Amino acid sequence: MRDAQRGSAAALEHLFRHHWPRAYRAALLVVGDAAAAEDIAQEAFLAAVRALDRFDRRRPFGPWLHRIVVNRAIDWGRARTLRRELAEADAPEPAALEREPPGHAQRLAAALAGLGPEHRAVIVLRYLFEYTPGEIAELLDLPRGTVNSRLRRGLDRLEALLREEPE
Amino acid sequence: MSERRLQQLLDSAPTDKQAEARAWELVRAAYAEREPRRRPRRRLRLVLALTAVTAIAAAVLSQPGRAVVNAVRRSIGIEHAQPALFRLPATGRLLVAGPSGAWVVAADGSKRRLGDFPQASWSPHGLYVVAAATNQLTTVTPTGAVHWTLSRPQIRFPRWGGTRTDTRIAYLTTSRLHVVAGDGTGDVDAEGLPDAAPVPPAWQPTPADRHVLAYVTTRGRVTVLDPDRGTVRWISAAYTGARALAWSPDGAQLALAARTKVVLFAAGTGRATTVHVEGVRALAFAPDGRLALLRSRQVLLRQDGRLRTLFVPPGGRLRGLVWSPDGRWLLTELPAADEWVFLQTRGGRRILAVSHIAAQFGAFPSLSGWTS
Repeated sequence: MRDAQRGSAAALEHLFRHHWPRAYRAALLVVGDAAAAEDIAQEAFLAAVRALDRFDRRRPFGPWLHRIVVNRAIDWGRARTLRRELAEADAPEPAALEREPPGHAQRLAAALAGLGPEHRAVIVLRYLFEYTPGEIAELLDLPRGTVNSRLRRGLDRLEALLREEPE
Repeated sequence: MSERRLQQLLDSAPTDKQAEARAWELVRAAYAEREPRRRPRRRLRLVLALTAVTAIAAAVLSQPGRAVVNAVRRSIGIEHAQPALFRLPATGRLLVAGPSGAWVVAADGSKRRLGDFPQASWSPHGLYVVAAATNQLTTVTPTGAVHWTLSRPQIRFPRWGGTRTDTRIAYLTTSRLHVVAGDGTGDVDAEGLPDAAPVPPAWQPTPADRHVLAYVTTRGRVTVLDPDRGTVRWISAAYTGARALAWSPDGAQLALAARTKVVLFAAGTGRATTVHVEGVRALAFAPDGRLALLRSRQVLLRQDGRLRTLFVPPGGRLRGLVWSPDGRWLLTELPAADEWVFLQTRGGRRILAVSHIAAQFGAFPSLSGWTS
C-alpha cells in the first residue's frame, strides 16, 4: 500500500491482482449478475484509487474494499428488486451464475438468488471473507444482533431452498 | 450443509479473467491520472513546463526524437493497436471528414475520398452525403459524384433528415439556421427564430412524411420546430454550455449535452429529465435506444436508467462518438495517440484500436457517421 501511495504502478497492480478475484466473486454472489458484479468491483477499485492518498496505512485494505463492494452490491440488489416490481418485463435477466459452476456450486448460486440482497451479503461476508459477526456489524454499520439474525435466517432459508432443489 | 462446505462452495464461484483485465485497464488509467498529493510550487512548475516544452521541441525536430514521440504516443494509446485500418469490426460504411477532406470507409477498410470537404454527414438512408466547405454546401453520392451545390457564407453543421421520398437538410450560416429541401430547392433562413448556438441541429427520426427539427439557440434553449409549417412545437429552459443534441431512434426522446448535465426531453411535450453527469461533449443513441456519452476521458453508457463506464483511455482526450449500424460497436477517437478506438458493447467487451489514422487520411479526421 505504501508503495502504491508513492506512485508505484507495480505495487498497485499487485494490490489489484490480489484483491480483485474475491471482490468480484463477492459482488457476483450478492447481485447474481456478471455485468453488474464487474461494474461494482470496478467502481470499488476506482474509489480506492481516488482515495489512495488519504488512506490510513495502519488499517488493512481488504475490509475497506469489501465494505464498498458489499454495500454497493446491496444497493444494486435493492434497486433491481424495485425495478422488477415496477416493470417485470423490463427487468434485465441475470447474466451470470447460470453460465458457470456445475453441480453443488450451481445449486448454491441458484439458492442464494432466492435470498434478499441483505441476507446474501452477510453470508458472503461471513463465509467467503470469513469475517466474524462483530466485524460484519462494523463493516455494514448494523447492530450485531441484526447480523446474527440475518445470518441465521439466511442460512435457514438457504438450507430450505437447497432441500427443495432436486439432486 | 456444513459451514466448511458452504465456504468451499462460495469460494468456487466463478471469476472472469476478461472482466479482471478490463477493470485493471480502468484502474491503471485512473491511477496514472490521479492528482499527486504534494504539488510543486508555481515557479518550479513553470520551470518544469518550460523544460518539458524545450525537450519536446528538440525531440520532435530530430530523427531519434521522432522515435521518442512515437513511444510517447504508444504510451498514451491502446496497447496492441492495429497499425492500419484493415477492416471495420461491423458492417456498414463510415463517413469521416477533416482538413484532408471527406472520406467514405467501407467495411473491408477501403477508403474513397469524396472531395475537399472539412464537414460532412450522411443522408437518412446512406444514399447521399451532404458536405460543406466554408461557403459551399454540396450533396454527393458515396462514390463522389456531385449531385447539387449551393453557395452560402460560413456554412457549418449540415444535417440531413426525412424519409426516403422527402428529405430536408438543415445547416447554420454563422448563427442563422437554414433549411433546404433534399433536392437543393427552397432554401430558407428560419426567419423569426432566435440565432443558433454552434451546436449541430438534429432531425427527429420519423416514419411519417413530416419534418421535425431541433436546434439550440444562442441563449441555450432547445427549440423544436416544424420547418415546413413554420411552427414551433416547444422551447426548453435555457441550459449553459450546450454542446450536442441527439434524438432517440424511435424519435420519442431528445437528448441534450450541457455543461453540467445531460437533459432528456420528451419529444411531444418537451418535459425534461436530468441526468447528472458533467462535461459530456458528445452523445449518441444506439439503434436499440442505449445512450452513449463521451466525456474528455471517459465513455459512458446509459441503459435501463443506469450509467456505467465503458472506457477510460490510458491517456489523452477522447473526441467523437458514432455507433455501428448494428449497435454492437462504438467508435471514438484518441487524436493524441493518432488512434481510433472501437468499443464492443454487445456480445463481448473487446476494445480494438487502430493507429496511424492521420497517415491513412492525410490528416486526423472527425467521425461523421456510420451507416448501413
